[in-house]
Amino acid sequence: MKNSSSYTAIAYLFLAPALILMGLFTFWPVGYNAYLAFNDYSIADATATWNNFAHFKYLYEEDLFHSALKNSLLFLLVVPVIQVSALLVAKLVNNKLPAMTFFRAAYYIPVITAISIAGVVWLNVYKYDGILTWFLQSLGLIDEQVNWLGEPKIAIYMVMIFTFWKGIGYYMVLYLAGLQSIPTEVEEAAILDGANAWQRFWKITVPMVKPTILLCTLLSTIAALKSFQEVVVLTRGQADTYTALYYVYAQAFTNFNFGRAAAAGLVVTFFCVLLAVLQFRFFGEKK
Amino acid sequence: MRLKPTLAVAAAVFAMSAANVLAADPVKVEYWSNSLSPKFDSTMKDITAKFNKSQTGIEAVWVDVPWDAFQAKVVAAVASGSVPGLVNLPKPWMDQFAQQKMLVPITKQVAGFKNVYTSGALQDVTYNGEVYGLPWYQVTAVLFYNKSLLAKAGVKEAPKSFADLLKAARLIKEKTGVAGFSPKLNDGFAGWFLYEGLPVVQNGKAVFNSPAHVKMVEDFKKAYADGVFPKDAFKMQFEDQIAAFGSQKIAMFGEGAHALKRTQTDSPKVYAQTGVAGFPEAKGKTPFGGFLFLWSVPKGYKNVDAAVKLGQYLTNDENQLAFAKASATFPSTNKALDDAYFKAGANSKDPIEQATGVAAAAIKTSRTLTISGLPDEAAMNKKMNDELEAAITGQKPVKKALDEAVAFWNSKFSGK
Repeated sequence: MKNSSSYTAIAYLFLAPALILMGLFTFWPVGYNAYLAFNDYSIADATATWNNFAHFKYLYEEDLFHSALKNSLLFLLVVPVIQVSALLVAKLVNNKLPAMTFFRAAYYIPVITAISIAGVVWLNVYKYDGILTWFLQSLGLIDEQVNWLGEPKIAIYMVMIFTFWKGIGYYMVLYLAGLQSIPTEVEEAAILDGANAWQRFWKITVPMVKPTILLCTLLSTIAALKSFQEVVVLTRGQADTYTALYYVYAQAFTNFNFGRAAAAGLVVTFFCVLLAVLQFRFFGEKK
Repeated sequence: MRLKPTLAVAAAVFAMSAANVLAADPVKVEYWSNSLSPKFDSTMKDITAKFNKSQTGIEAVWVDVPWDAFQAKVVAAVASGSVPGLVNLPKPWMDQFAQQKMLVPITKQVAGFKNVYTSGALQDVTYNGEVYGLPWYQVTAVLFYNKSLLAKAGVKEAPKSFADLLKAARLIKEKTGVAGFSPKLNDGFAGWFLYEGLPVVQNGKAVFNSPAHVKMVEDFKKAYADGVFPKDAFKMQFEDQIAAFGSQKIAMFGEGAHALKRTQTDSPKVYAQTGVAGFPEAKGKTPFGGFLFLWSVPKGYKNVDAAVKLGQYLTNDENQLAFAKASATFPSTNKALDDAYFKAGANSKDPIEQATGVAAAAIKTSRTLTISGLPDEAAMNKKMNDELEAAITGQKPVKKALDEAVAFWNSKFSGK
């Protein structure tokens, strides 16, 4: 007979390969990043010196970081939109109709397209004499050409639309998995009880995919706060689209101030954790 | 007995390995080029093999590192103390690394041969009075113009000064409706001030809000407002300018000769009517668009002399010429630039060859126009560029924008 401690040991043995890899490539860098955030790090001497929260004090005063953080938080607007849309799209492509596989694939293609290539395409969409301007002009909605990524008032929303296009397929697939785990009997029973499609969506589908909603909202919140690549490929931080992670990157690889970059990264992490806690409160299982 | 042959073999092996130990191992100098593989593999392998053949004490080992990974890899190498002998940096990165004390000054080592390089290149590799690099290949902008658009606008010859350039661009816009000139603005504006000979920082203070600076930015603003510059001038990168020129959306732009290769294939009609002239020099006495690559020794490298020796070899006349020919760039030594290869282009009818000839004449004075040694380069450059963009695109009065950027810079300088 095996006792419980040997079961635990075996469990850890199975976990070990993944844990070692994660420890090396995830936990250790995260821990070291936190350590650097409280130190002045010199690359040339490879020394870190405690600096009495100097980086955090600097960030507290730094307007550029504040506006970058504001833009990252503004990016959260994309979360509810992408979640509702992804769920609706998942619901649509979950129908047993011809050509559904085609639609599923079509929605997923942007996810697997390299962001640099997608960026080049979208730069042409957003060009002042590009496809978007042409389309809106031909519908008679605008008269003048618009520099979509050059106007500080609208540029960040244009980047969000790109993020939406790039990400919706990913969440759609997760929701699709969630939807397919709903037993058909429940829906059939609701139909017999006279529930219409709208009622079935809100009273059955949404509650039953709640765990998926939590997962997807959490993932997209983190992705929104981490928005960086889309900004690099579309605006390079111009026109008030500079985000918090762009700031982190610039501090690390333009200024080589790894301590300050680590501190800014930690502040972003703090917001991620805060929002995750809130989301668990809202969507988590209440016991 | 079977033991004897075994013993004999063992003795022979021992003798050979002892001989190996006694013969001093050559010093291995690893050197990292920047994004040259696979296009220039044969040139680099050839140069490396020739160097190794000519040396007994040093063995060069060539490694190519992609552009995106380069800075991070150098940083990681210096931080870990396991560095290559030479790294191939563009001038702005050299300044940043030198500022962080991540490079070894090689002023003494190059004193005996530094005069082989052009004066512009030598100035580029000097940071705070110390030499931090061996100049290698470089590019500089020449002015490409659409002959038929210029003719339609009544512009008889290529502009000789920047003021002429703006005038011609305005005429083109007025007469043809096409944006006359696309200035390179996506990398920031500081280079334009330097091109015009206007100081950006003096005695540790930002000074780019003087009446002369305001006047220059006002000129850009007017040109932008009137459509003389394209609407997305701040977003246009290398390939965007080429595409706009090829589709006749701009009449003039400044770039290296290599830029025309795409016009040649994608827009042969425009290519046939492309004229080439030297990019007009302004008060900064240098063309716009110069960019130098060089070899630096990272901090922590033990055999600095061996690394410099390899660097000297890589950047000598013969090897620079070989690389320049392979890559359609320019060498940074005086003698290599005087080679007949570059002179031949000046009389050619082909725009690319012509551009090569024109650029070779201009490149000896060419500098990489960049501001270095800033206490918070990322934030300061961003502030300057944001304010300049707001001013030129008419979102903010020019003087106000420059004052705000200068105040920001000076607050950073005082907090240094």
